[in-house]
Formats: sequence, C-alpha cells, structure tokens
Amino acid sequence: MITRDHIGGLFFLLLCSTYGYSATQIPMLPGDEFQPFNAQTLPIALACFGGFLAICMLVTASRSTSDKLVLTGLDFVLVTKLLGLVVLFAVALKWIGFLLATIVFLAGGYRILGERRLKVLFLASVPFAVGLWMVLARLLDIYLAPGRLFTGLFGG
Amino acid sequence: MLDGILTGLNTAIVPFNLMMVVLGCFAGTFIGMLPGLGPISAVALMIPITYGLDPASGIILMAGVYYGAVFGGSTSSILINAPGCASTVVTAFDGYPLAQKRKAGKALALAAYSSFTGGTIGAVILLFAAPALASVSLSFQSSDYFALMILGLTAVSAFAGKGKVLKAFSMTVFGLMISTVGTDVISGAPRFTFGNLDLVDGVSFLLLAMATFALAEVVMTVLKGEHKKKEPDMDMSSLGSMKLSKDEIKEIAPTIGRSSIFGFLVGVLPGAGATIASFLAYGLERNLANAKQKLQFGKGALRGLAAPESANNAASTGSFVPLLTLGIPGSGTTAIMLGALIAYGIQPGPRLFVDNPEVFWSVIISMYFGNLVLLILNLPLIPYISRLLVIPTPILIPLILFFSITGVYLVSFNTFDIYMMVFITIAAIFLRLLEFPLAPMLLGFILGGIMENNLSRALTLSDGSFAFLWERPLTLGIMLTAGIVVLLPFLSGFFKRSVLLAEGRPADAKSGHREKSGKTGVASLGEG
Repeated sequence: MITRDHIGGLFFLLLCSTYGYSATQIPMLPGDEFQPFNAQTLPIALACFGGFLAICMLVTASRSTSDKLVLTGLDFVLVTKLLGLVVLFAVALKWIGFLLATIVFLAGGYRILGERRLKVLFLASVPFAVGLWMVLARLLDIYLAPGRLFTGLFGG
Repeated sequence: MLDGILTGLNTAIVPFNLMMVVLGCFAGTFIGMLPGLGPISAVALMIPITYGLDPASGIILMAGVYYGAVFGGSTSSILINAPGCASTVVTAFDGYPLAQKRKAGKALALAAYSSFTGGTIGAVILLFAAPALASVSLSFQSSDYFALMILGLTAVSAFAGKGKVLKAFSMTVFGLMISTVGTDVISGAPRFTFGNLDLVDGVSFLLLAMATFALAEVVMTVLKGEHKKKEPDMDMSSLGSMKLSKDEIKEIAPTIGRSSIFGFLVGVLPGAGATIASFLAYGLERNLANAKQKLQFGKGALRGLAAPESANNAASTGSFVPLLTLGIPGSGTTAIMLGALIAYGIQPGPRLFVDNPEVFWSVIISMYFGNLVLLILNLPLIPYISRLLVIPTPILIPLILFFSITGVYLVSFNTFDIYMMVFITIAAIFLRLLEFPLAPMLLGFILGGIMENNLSRALTLSDGSFAFLWERPLTLGIMLTAGIVVLLPFLSGFFKRSVLLAEGRPADAKSGHREKSGKTGVASLGEG
C-alpha cells in the first residue's frame, strides 16, 4: 500500500538528490574549497540531512489505508482554470496594462467560479478596477505601464 | 524601562499609528472571519501595504491584523460553526451551541471580553518579560545565535504533532534550501539560479509568504469545493442580548485569569502558538470543572468558551516574546512579521530594543490599544461586520487572489514573480495534499540566511572546528535544549506505547489517537 508518507518521502529524496547534485556545481573562488565555510557548505549539509530525513520518512511511513492519498472529490479542473487565469493576468499586464488586465482577471474569475449574471460580472469588476487604478496611478502616483499593445499603437 | 515605555507610547499615540491599529483590527477581524483564512494569511496580505510605511507603523498594523484575525475567527466559529482559523476551532465547541440556543450575542460578548482580558494580561506580562529576556540575550555571540536558530527551527517542527514531526523537519530543511537560492552573500557566487537573472536576488520573502499562505489557501478552498457551500443565512435579530449577569462574570473570571497566564506561557514557547494554547486551556478547564459542570462542556458552557478565547489571545501576545527578544518567531504569523522586519533592514533579536527602541516598545504599547479597539469598536459592530460573511464566495475568491498577486507585483513590477507564485502555489498544494505543514518551511526560509551567516562566522572564528557548539556553556545549553525538543515527540510516543502495552490495550486505540493528534498538529502549524 503506497501512502502519502511514501509519496512524500520519495518526493523529498528526489528533491534532496537534485539539490545536492546542483550544490556541488556551485562555482567557488580559487582557494575557497580549503576554507572552513564556503558557498557549498550549507547546501551540501542540507542535502545530506534532507536525504536522511527522506529515508527516515520512507522507513517509518504509515501503511494504513486511511493514509492513502485520496484525490477524488477534488476539483483540479477548476483550480487549473483559476491558475491559468493568473498566468493570463501576468501576460495581460505586459500587453494591455494594469486596468484592462484587472478587469479581465476579475470578470474571468467570477465567471469561472460560477457567476453568470452579466450585470454582476460588470459591477464587481469594472468599478473596482477603475477605482483601484485611480488610487494607485492618480492618488499614490505609482507608474503603471499602459501595456505594449497601446504603446505600440499609440506610442508612449 | 520607563523611558522605553514612554518612547513606545509616544510612537504608538501618533494619530497615524492609532489609525493603523484601528485599521489593522478591522481588516484582521474581517479576514479572520472568512472561513479558511486565518491570521497567517491576513498578515501575509498586509505585507505589501506595510512596505510603504515606516517600520513601527508597519509592525503596529500587522500586530493589529494579527489579534483582529484571531478575534474574527472566533466570530465565524460562534455564528456559523466555521472557524476562521485553527486557533478558534475550540471556540466553536461551546460557542456554536450557545448561538443555537439564541445566545449568540452573549457568546460574542464573552469571546470579546475574554480576548480583551487575555490580550491585556499577555501584554502586561510581555511588558516586563520582553526587556528582561532581551537584556540577558545581549551577551549572545554568533555561536549562541546559531544554536538559537536551531532551537527555533526544531521547536516548531517538534510541536507539529504526532506523525508529522518528520514531515515538519523536512519542510524546515526545504525552507532552508529555498533560502540558499540566489547570490551567496559571503563569496558572491550564484547558487541555484540556473542562469536566470530573476533568481539572482533569491526568492522574495513576500512572494513565498503570499503564495504559500494567501494564494494556496484560497486555491485549496476551491480544490475542496468549499466555495460551493451556501452562504450562511444569518438573522441578526436572533443574536440575543450581549449582557452578562453578575453570576456569569463570577463563574468565568477565574477561568479567564488562569487561561490568560497559561496561554501566554504556551505562546512564548517557539512553535507552540495560539492553537495549542487554546486546546490545552480548554482541556485544563474541563479537568478543573466538577462532574456536573463537565457535562455542560460541548453544550454551551461559558467556561468552555472563555478558556480558549483568553488563551489564544494571550498566546498571540506571548509569541511576540521570542520574536522581539531572540529574533525567533513563536508562530507562523510572527515568522511573517520577522520577515517583514528583516525587509525593513531591522534585525529582530536582543539588539532590537537597543537599536530600534521605538519599534520594540511601540509594538508592545499598541497591543493595549489593539485590545481596546477590539472591545470598544469591534464588539458593537460585530452584527454589521458579520454581514460580510454573506458576500458570495465566487466574488470573494477572485478578489483575494487579485490582492495576493498584485500585492507582490506592485512591489517588484516584475511579471516573473507572478509566474513564480503560480509555481510555488502548485508546489504548496501538492505538499498540503501530502499533509506537509507549510509554516516550518517559511520559518526555515526566513531564518536560513541569518543561520548561515552565524554558522559561517562561528566556524571561521573556531578555525573550522565544531567545538564552538559545546565550548560556551550557553551555546551548549541551547543545543541540549534543542536536542531534548527533537527527542520529545519520539520519547512521548514511546512512553505512551509502553503504557498501552502494559495496560494490554488494543493497537487500534493507539492509531486512533495518533490520527487525532496528527490533525491537531497540522492545524496548529497551519494557523501558526
């Protein structure tokens, strides 16, 4: 029976091995290897200790059925959509600027989570985004880039 | 000390700082009230705002949010049986039954009075305990600091609960690993940047805190489908009277007194936090009650509500002792505050009350004001604030997500940080599903840099020998304490098993207990 403990232990062992290997690749100044403490010291120590913990986790892992990783009932599709929207927001920030990106993100988020009424989608996103943009750009004088699309079209 | 108190008072009574206390308490109450979001998420959401403030105002705001969130969590526990955070889970045991008996007003008032007394008693003890401990720790050297960091990290992991200790230790190591990403401060060598310029400065504390505690928390709510639950149907007219009778006050006064002191002491222990304090105080009060009163626990006992409420607020105050005096956070929430202080260029620890007395004392003084604000302003407004609970979740979730992302983006103006947040959130969800606690990771990350510097200094001074760990009695004492703390959960498990075997009890009794305490442990670290 593979439980959460086994998966966690294996994951951690893999992580420590990769981290440990990368730690040995850290560039050092000539002579640093003879110093009592250098850039590799702590990472290597952490990789070794982490590996030891991972092995302990695997050895002492629970085999009870109640500790099995259960993924049923979890809405991964919705979470993927939401995180996708966050990535889209980051892309939109670059291309269409803060104001429009905020409106798209909020309206998209409400819709993904089940809100279908256009009036609500509009009222809960546009006034909020405009208000926040006014506070940041006008009141606090924070420079919010207009987006590459607009600077490309209209200059700026 | 009087000079310090006056300095703190002068800073805390500046109108702007008073406004910060009021704002913090309100914001904290609101966020803490939302099921799933606790003090740790509330404080994390405040970090970007504090970047624009001076250190004293920033920390005052965060402290206000902290105890506001603990108070807010109690409100949702009492009204809708949905604890806003782990430290108010126990509040629901007797608070919700009281609300069902149409005594919600009384329960809310009792929670507010208990929180106020717990917080105030905690703040009074803090006023004397913090400077005393800080004066002692002024003689600390780099080896002692290194030992202290080890103690802080091990304590947090050891308190994770049975079955979770190894996972908590692993997460601490993981946090330390993340802290090594970026340019090495000693040699200037790039570490784990993989040629990416955005990683040269390392992973930002704000980004990590927001991704693991604000973003991941909300995404977990969606993942579990909790956002589909119907909004609570609350009738404000059924809250009932908020007055307590003389007999009731007489009954709960000793409970509040002892739970406050007890809660403070538990809160001082690094890693113990408000959740453990509230559970222990509830257990203690139940044990002290007579057979007849014991039957009332879980059915709306006033003592059962007063004990955890006083204890969790006193513990929240107590957790500031190790933070302000030793630079070791007592909980996940104070770990975030530690990170914020470091971001200000302030090094919390023994020198804080010498180098930045205004920060040290104003935080302590503002706690009194914070407790007053909670009692005078929040209590009468609770019926109105709790209406916020009926805001539809499909509207609330994107807004919280938006604030988490823009909070990070508006500090760096780098969209790479948003991609990084998504990546960390996915990792955090994966780890949460495997029941890895995230607070130790954040602690490891925050303390990692300081720990490495002190270890490097100590090793260089001792010419590469690890003798510095036992040469100074103080260092040795702290290291031994850390060793005991590490062994404690394993030893207690061993003794319990021996007792069970001696009594000839079946093995399933053991596993049942393990499961129960494990859940508590997760909650405690989740709340921080």
